[in-house]
Amino acid sequence: MSESLEKLQNRILSDAKHKADETIKDSQAKSQQILEEAKQRAQREFEEIIAKANVEAESIRRSILSSKVRVNRLRILEEKNRIVEDIIHSVEDQLSSFSKSERFEETAQRFVTEAVKAVDTDQPVVRIGFRNVSKKNLDGVSKVLPKGGKLVVDEKPIDNLGGVVATDPEGKVVFNNTFKSRLERLDNQLLTLISSTVFGE
Amino acid sequence: MSGIDAVKKIVETEAQARRIVDEASTKAQQIISETREQAERIRQEATARAQQQREEMLSGAKSKAEAEALQSDKETEQILNTYRKLSEERKAGAVSKAVELILNA
Repeated sequence: MSESLEKLQNRILSDAKHKADETIKDSQAKSQQILEEAKQRAQREFEEIIAKANVEAESIRRSILSSKVRVNRLRILEEKNRIVEDIIHSVEDQLSSFSKSERFEETAQRFVTEAVKAVDTDQPVVRIGFRNVSKKNLDGVSKVLPKGGKLVVDEKPIDNLGGVVATDPEGKVVFNNTFKSRLERLDNQLLTLISSTVFGE
Repeated sequence: MSGIDAVKKIVETEAQARRIVDEASTKAQQIISETREQAERIRQEATARAQQQREEMLSGAKSKAEAEALQSDKETEQILNTYRKLSEERKAGAVSKAVELILNA
């Protein structure tokens, strides 16, 4: 009986040890799996962060560059604008002293003719005013007026730069043919001409 | 050995067997618990490495872009100088053409 009891005890302990070994082995296998999964997950997270960082870095680069390009384009535009404005000021200076030119009378006559034609009346009222021009300098201009027309000579240049303004007798139809209004009417052509001459555009 | 002694021996042996199994179970839980902590450390280290690398990438991208921006400044300065030079050379011609346009258009 003692021998079979010892066998039984040994069997009980052997079963327990076997079960214990299995438990430890299972936990080690599970542990290995947990570690593998953790490494894979860590690698995935690492790659995701790096991929996002790549996009972020490109975005930062583009943002800095596009901002700089915008600023520099603006600087170029401002400089071109400054140059064009400077040229237009010089043009205005030349126009305001145009009465000294040999071509003044012929030009004034043409401006009057254009203005009279534009208001299309037999009795146009034509105001004319250029710098340093008085009535006695405008004999030629009177000749191009129709018989019923009236010439009014301003002592001062009209619209600062000088020119001609024609109206019908009631003052309802007005045609402004001053240098200033011609500059405004020809604004687009003027800018194109200046740009192509200076910048070759 | 009496029957009662034999039963006592069996009971003691089973208790010992339970302890062996319980100890193994506790050890297994400890192994899993330590592994989970190790897994979390692995994840945190990977994230930290990635964040460090991210900072370096962003800083590098910024420096590179600023260098390219400087190049853009230089090119712009050259263009501005060219325009100023052209303006000096061609201003008189442009004024003359513009005056003619206003007079004759």
